[in-house]
Amino acid sequence: MPKDHTSLISDLEEKLKECSSSHDIANIKSQYLGKSGIITNKFGSLKDAALDERKELGRSLNILKTQIQNLIAAKLIEIQDVKNDNKVDITLPGKNISTGSKHPVSITINGITSILAKYGFTSVSGVEVEDEFHNFEALNIPETHPARDMHDTFYVSDDKLLRTHTSSVQIRSMLSNKAPLKIMTPGKVYRCDSDPTHSPMFHQIEGLYIDKNVNFCHLKGVLISFITEFFGKDMEIRFRPSYFPFTEPSAELDIKFKGKWLEVLGCGMVHPNVLSNVKIDTKKYSGFAFGLGIERLAMLKYDIVDLRMFYENDISFLSQFKGLK
Amino acid sequence: MKISLNWLKEYIPNIKKNDIFIEELTSLGLEVSSEVKVKKDTVIDIDMTPNRADCLSIIGIARDLSAIYKNKIAYPKAIKFLKLKHSNILAIDKKISSSYSALIIKNIDNSLKTPFFIKNRLDMCGLKTINFVVDVLNYVMLENGQPMHAFDHDKFNGNIKVRFAKNNEKMTALDGQNYTLMKDIPVIADDKKPQAIAGVIGSEESSVTDKTKNIIIESAYFTPNLIRRSSKHFRLQTDASYRFERGVDPLINKYAIGRVLAILTEHTSIEDFSFNHLSAPKVAKHINRSILVKPNLFESSLGIKISDKFILQTLSYLGFNPKKSKKGFSVTIPSHRFDIGIAQDLVEEVARVYGYNNFKPILATNSLNNIKDSTNQFDGYSDLLVARGYNEIISFSFIPKGDQSNHVPKTKIASLVNPISEDKAELRGSMINSILNTCAYNFSRKNNNLRIFESGKTYIKHRDKSIIEENILAGAISGINSESNLKNEQVKLSFFDIKGDLLSILPDVSFEVNADIKYIRKACQAVIKQNNKIIGYCGEPEKSLYSQYSIKNQIFYFELMIDKITPISSLKYKKISIFPKIRRDLTILIDDELIASDIIDAVQRKSFNYMITSKISDIFYNKSNLDIGNKSMTIEFVFQDKSSTLRDDQVNDEMEKIVLLLKNKFKAIVRS
Repeated sequence: MPKDHTSLISDLEEKLKECSSSHDIANIKSQYLGKSGIITNKFGSLKDAALDERKELGRSLNILKTQIQNLIAAKLIEIQDVKNDNKVDITLPGKNISTGSKHPVSITINGITSILAKYGFTSVSGVEVEDEFHNFEALNIPETHPARDMHDTFYVSDDKLLRTHTSSVQIRSMLSNKAPLKIMTPGKVYRCDSDPTHSPMFHQIEGLYIDKNVNFCHLKGVLISFITEFFGKDMEIRFRPSYFPFTEPSAELDIKFKGKWLEVLGCGMVHPNVLSNVKIDTKKYSGFAFGLGIERLAMLKYDIVDLRMFYENDISFLSQFKGLK
Repeated sequence: MKISLNWLKEYIPNIKKNDIFIEELTSLGLEVSSEVKVKKDTVIDIDMTPNRADCLSIIGIARDLSAIYKNKIAYPKAIKFLKLKHSNILAIDKKISSSYSALIIKNIDNSLKTPFFIKNRLDMCGLKTINFVVDVLNYVMLENGQPMHAFDHDKFNGNIKVRFAKNNEKMTALDGQNYTLMKDIPVIADDKKPQAIAGVIGSEESSVTDKTKNIIIESAYFTPNLIRRSSKHFRLQTDASYRFERGVDPLINKYAIGRVLAILTEHTSIEDFSFNHLSAPKVAKHINRSILVKPNLFESSLGIKISDKFILQTLSYLGFNPKKSKKGFSVTIPSHRFDIGIAQDLVEEVARVYGYNNFKPILATNSLNNIKDSTNQFDGYSDLLVARGYNEIISFSFIPKGDQSNHVPKTKIASLVNPISEDKAELRGSMINSILNTCAYNFSRKNNNLRIFESGKTYIKHRDKSIIEENILAGAISGINSESNLKNEQVKLSFFDIKGDLLSILPDVSFEVNADIKYIRKACQAVIKQNNKIIGYCGEPEKSLYSQYSIKNQIFYFELMIDKITPISSLKYKKISIFPKIRRDLTILIDDELIASDIIDAVQRKSFNYMITSKISDIFYNKSNLDIGNKSMTIEFVFQDKSSTLRDDQVNDEMEKIVLLLKNKFKAIVRS
C-alpha cells in the first residue's frame, strides 16, 4: 500500500474516534467518499497517471475505498448499537425465579446418610406404629425398668404405641436379616414431651453394625470420623460412660461447642440380651449401635435456637435453606 | 443430684485440697452438668443415669472416684448394734421389705437446733431443713443413700406393720394431700391404719415435730418395683421414692440407722433406745452372686489389651470381689450394685475407669451389601419438586381432634390414648389437614405465594384395629407464579400449574375426571393414574376446608401414593426420523360439555397415518361470536414420516379424515 494511503487510513481512524453521532459520521463519509471527497478526487486524478501505472493505482485505490467504507460502516454500527433500544438492562429482575428448598431436617438426614453410606451403612426404614416387643422388650427394656421413664410413650391402643426411637427398626432388621449387618435407620420418633427443647415428634437416625470381632474402638472410629466430616472440621470430642438398656458398655459423645460440652449422640456395644432376643449368636457376633437426634444436629449446624421453627414451616424460614441438598 | 465438693472430698483420703475432680467424675459416667461456687465450697450437679442407684449418695460417688485415685474410701463412723432384738413389734410382709430396721428412741429433745454443718450441707444439696432428727436422717441419706423415716411414737398406735393397703384406706400425707389407697400399694401401718405409703411419704398424723419426745426411726429396704408402682400411681416422687425405686443397698439399713444414732449422740444425750431388725434369709437375689468373665472378653469387646492387674484393682476399688483363675475372672457382686447382671457389665466397669477417651478409634468402612435400601423412595420426586420451586415442609403426624371428621370415617381414625393436648390428639388419615394448616399459617404471616410439599405418612385404622401406614407425597400451590417477576409477567397460579408440575416429575401419568375424593371440590378434581392404576389425586380443596382453616386465598392441592408409583425403569430407544415435520392447526367449534381428553383420545385412538403428536393449543369460551353452549378449540397436529419427506397432499388427506371424524363423532364445526 502506498505510503499516503496508510496515513490516510490512520488519519480517518483518528477522526472516527472523535465521532459520537451518526451525523458526525455522515460528514466524514462525504469528506472521503462524497462527490468531491478525497477518494472520489483520487479516482478522478487516475486519468493523469501514466498508462502503465494506471491499472496498479486503480487496484490499490479500490482497496483503499473498501477499507474506508468498512471503517465508516463499523463505526456507524457501533454508534447505533449504543444508541439503540436493543441494549438490555441486565440488572432488571430475573423471571420465574423458583425458591424451592428441602427442609433442614431432610438436608441433615441426607448429609448424615451420605457420610454413613461411605462407611458401608445401608439405609432402612420401618413402621412408626409399633408394639411393646419391638420398641421395648427386645431392646432389653422390661415393663418395670426405670429406663422406661426416659421414654414417655404415646399409645394408640393397649398394645400399639408410636415408636420412641428407631431402634425398633434395628430389631426388625436383625430379626429378618440376621448377622452380619450394617444399617442406618432414619425416621420420625415420638415422645410425650413438649417444651422449648423437646418436641412430641422429632427425627432420629441410628446406626447398627453387627459382625465378627466388632469392638469399642470400631465404634469410636466411625463416630469420630462421622462428626468430623459432618461439621466439616476437627471438633473437640469426648466419650463418656452413660446408660442405655440396649448397649453395654454404653457411652455418650459430647462435642465442645462455643466453649461448652454438648451431648450429641448415644452409643455403645450392643447388649448381649438384645442379640439373644433376635437370635443372633453372641459367641460369634458382636456389634455397636448409635443414635442421634436430627433436629439437635441441625440446630448446631445452622445455628437455629428454637426447635419449634422446624414444624411451623414458615416459608421465610424454609427458603433460607435453598441450594442445600 | 446436687452435692458439695468439700463434703465429697472428706471420704477420699490423701486427696489434695485443690483437686477438683469434675473431669474425672464425667469420665466415670457421673456427668457434672453444672458447678456453682458457694463460699469456699463448690456445689456440683450430677446427671445420674438410672442404672447408678449406688451413686445417689456421697459415699457412692466417692467409691467410684476411689478407683481412679486408687485410694480406699473412709466410711464414716456408726454405732454398732450388737444385741439385735428380733422383736415382736415388727410384722413385715417380706414381699415388700426383705430387710427392715427400726430404732425406737425415748425422751429425745427434738427442739434442738440442727448442727450448722448439717444445715449447711443439706442446703447446698437442695434439701430443706425441718427439725433436728429429720435433718439428721436426711443428712445420712445424702451421705449413704439410705432413705429413712421418723414416726412420732406417741401418735403411732401399737406395732409396726409393713403390709399392702386395703382398698379405699385413706391417709393424709405430709404434703397435706389426701391419698386413697388400694390393695397393691405397700404401706407402713400401725394397729389401726396406714402411717406411711412405704418408701414414698409419711402421714401427717404421725409426723415428727420439734415437740416430739419419742421417735421411731425406720430404715429399710423396699422392693424397687413396688415403690416405683406407688410413685407412678400417685404421681409423687420424693427423695426417698427416687432412691428406693432404683434400688437402695439392701444390707445398709442397719449401718445407716447406727450412723444416725452416732450423729445424734454427738449432739444430745440419748439414754433410752432399742433397735429392732428383721431380715429375710435371702435379702436380694443379686447379693453375693458371682459372674464369670472369660479371659478374652475385655479385649474382644474393647479392642485393646488391659492388664489383669488393672482389672483386678479397679473392680476391688468399686467394691467387687474379683478372682483370677484359668477360666477367667470370677467376680462377686456387692450388695450396692443392682445394675450388674452379666459379664459385659463388668467390661463397662473396667472401661469407664480406664477412660473411654483412651481407646484409639479404628474406622471400618467395609460394606456388606446384603440389604436393600428402603428409605429413599421419595428422594427423586422431592428433588424435582424443589427444582420446580417447591419448599419442603414437615408437619406433625398428629392433628387436632375433629379436624378430619368430615373426610375420614370415625372408625378409621387412629387416636392417641394419651395425647399431649387436644390439638395433637389424632393421627392424620390424610395429608390435606397438614398441608392446609401450613398454608393457613403462612397466609397469616403474609406469605401469600406458596409452593409446598411434604413427604410423610398417613395412618388409617383397619377393621382388625391394626394401623395402616401409607407413604404419601402431598403438596399445594397458591398465589402467583413468581414474586420476582415484573407486574405484567405475574400470573395467578391455577390447576394447570399443579398439573404441569406433576407431569414434569411423572411424565407417564394421566389425569382423569371423577376422582370422588371428599376433600377436593367436585368441580375441580382429578384422579392421577399410571398404567391405569390410581396413584393420586389433585384439585382444589372443598369449600368447607377453606372455612375450617379460615383461608381466603385459592389453593390447589395434590397427593401421590408413593408406594403405588412404578418408576420408569425399562426403556428402549426409538429411532428418530430425519425427515421434516409438518405442523397443522385445526380450529373447531364444539359443544361446551365435551372435554379436551374426549377429543384428543378419539384422535389418538384412531392412529392416523404419519401423525406423531396432537394436542390442544388454544381454547376460547363465551366469545360473542360463538353460539351459546359452544366453545372454540384449536388442535395442533404434527406429521412426520419415517422413511421419506412428506408431501402436502399426504397430510391434507389425513387432515380430511380427522375433520370427518370430529364432525361425525362430536358434531364439530370447522372454523377457518
